[in-house]
Amino acid sequence: MSARERILARIQEALAQRPRTPHPGAFGGWRPRPLPDDAVDGFVEMFTRAGGEVQRVPDADAARAFLQALGSEPPVAAVGAAVGATVPPALDPGLPAAPPESAALGVSMARAAVGETGSLVLDARDGRLTQLLPPVHVVLVRASSVHRTLVEALADLRADLPSALGLHSGPSKSADIGQVLVKGVHGPGRVVALLLEE
Amino acid sequence: MSEANPGGYARAATEAIRRHPEVRAAVTAATHTFDSHRVEAWSEIDPDRWRDWARDVKQHVLTHLDRYLEEAETRLARRGAHVHWAENDAEAVDLLARITARHGVKRVVKAKSMLTEELGVNASLEARGIHVRETDLGEYIIQLLGQPPSHIVGPAIHLSVDDCRRLFNERFGTPLDATPDALAATAREALRADFLAADLGISGGNFLTADTGTLALIENEGNIRLSTSAPRIHVAFVGIEKLLPRLTDLSCFLQLTSRNATGQAIGNYVSLITGPRRPGEPDGPEELHVILVDNGRTRVLADDTAWEALRCVRCGSCLNICPVYRQTGGHPYGYTYSGPIGAILAPGLLGLEEAMPLPFASSLCGACADVCPVRIPIPDLLLYWRERAVEAGLVPAVERAGMKAYATAATHPALFAAAGASLRYLPWEMGGRALPVLGQWSGERAPPEFSATSFRALWREGIE
Repeated sequence: MSARERILARIQEALAQRPRTPHPGAFGGWRPRPLPDDAVDGFVEMFTRAGGEVQRVPDADAARAFLQALGSEPPVAAVGAAVGATVPPALDPGLPAAPPESAALGVSMARAAVGETGSLVLDARDGRLTQLLPPVHVVLVRASSVHRTLVEALADLRADLPSALGLHSGPSKSADIGQVLVKGVHGPGRVVALLLEE
Repeated sequence: MSEANPGGYARAATEAIRRHPEVRAAVTAATHTFDSHRVEAWSEIDPDRWRDWARDVKQHVLTHLDRYLEEAETRLARRGAHVHWAENDAEAVDLLARITARHGVKRVVKAKSMLTEELGVNASLEARGIHVRETDLGEYIIQLLGQPPSHIVGPAIHLSVDDCRRLFNERFGTPLDATPDALAATAREALRADFLAADLGISGGNFLTADTGTLALIENEGNIRLSTSAPRIHVAFVGIEKLLPRLTDLSCFLQLTSRNATGQAIGNYVSLITGPRRPGEPDGPEELHVILVDNGRTRVLADDTAWEALRCVRCGSCLNICPVYRQTGGHPYGYTYSGPIGAILAPGLLGLEEAMPLPFASSLCGACADVCPVRIPIPDLLLYWRERAVEAGLVPAVERAGMKAYATAATHPALFAAAGASLRYLPWEMGGRALPVLGQWSGERAPPEFSATSFRALWREGIE
């Protein structure tokens, strides 16, 4: 018998006399005060609370203009930016390109976002290292892609799962040194959600 | 295997309190902070309903565990992941050894994982000459110090900022008054090189969803995302009790675990990993191995009382609120899992005899049960293991004799009154030191001051 068979056999033996209990059904997310009706409002509140920045832009031109302004600042202008593979051409700011290992800025396209938790949903198809290595991360996110609750987002994402989804809910942080909060420990210390309202 | 030493608890706890007041100060401060964040985070949700729901899901999974493990295995395999099963620590590290040997792995980065601590993964890698680097900032610090984690969530909470300053000064030459930001930046730079040079990344798994074969990991720093993204091989060690039926079940568990652990609405980074890198993806590991680990869990599952401990999501909130843990931190427990949850997991996972006296390292105040996100009846389980210990004769003979004497006195009112009255006339200082058990007790404590009239006397006269 293999380890697998022995483990499964022990589980079956352990459960032989145990009453089976049912799954409690859908998670209700119960709260004393309901979440904001508007998913985007919820996202802005929660993402900001966790230390993230939100820039609301009306259209692709404004999004590109924001990125180009950031790109003209010294570190990005000198070193370059890494841009995610799924950023649509209309949103690409055309900054000097650099690999994620050395880029001063990472630009990613969010697959979705979550109001309840203030999370950007990042897809491996966009490139994981661009989402993690540069010290500043700007994430393009369409207002129409923001889900109100995490359970709604997961139900939607489930149909098409890449090798990895990253839920990013603010800048990288740690309190491991004497409980003092520090930002940008391994991931980016500055995260901007560029919220496209069109 | 990892060296567990719960037997040294009493001595280690006494020494921690007597010789290391700074540890007590650091741990007490950190746990109060963690717990106040939890209280705030709970005020935004209906914690009773969330906890009922989470308990019921976990109970459902555990009573259908064989089915969900097989389902997860099928899904994982369909997505190109390699699934392995390990009955114990030796098998688990051996599976890893085969993977590292096949790929000629020389450098490993590790995301924080309590299971890999339980299994002794680092020692096994180092014994084969493989460089292994902990990448969570707290884990990195204690790895440099050669210490095990002292807390499930905050592995280095027993250290002060000054402790970290001294360490970094020694290792990297940073100034002794460096800010935590500067220390973190130094660690970031050192570890960034490790991430990019590593052949293999190791993680644990907070949850594994059966319907999609998705591994869920919660963190704040980004080191778990990097450890599971940058190296070309990813190996995840997952306890068999970590299963969840559905991806959508994560909605509650990701949030509740985070709210309980650190008071956040959700951990800063959540990784949802479904298989290795797919065609068309720019990066990510080419191979994913999931090692499903038993290591005593099926034995716990078979116990009609103790099995409830398998619901644990490792949030650490029972440590944060425990008045006993707060005095010493986790090291004196001598086991990977410390605090209240450690005291009920150790007898099940290690065996009761080896876990002694951890079920007794508690005041039974019940605070742990009040905060547990999956409503594990920790005090009941502590009592259960204590009863088992007495039955097995694992309690000192003196204590058994004492309890027997007390039982006799307590069931004979006249004897009880006489014994109570006699306590008032004991030569406490001298007698205490002379007696074998009381000597240890009275050495640490001032003798009691008695009131002029005993409670029993007042009661007879009629209390106003």
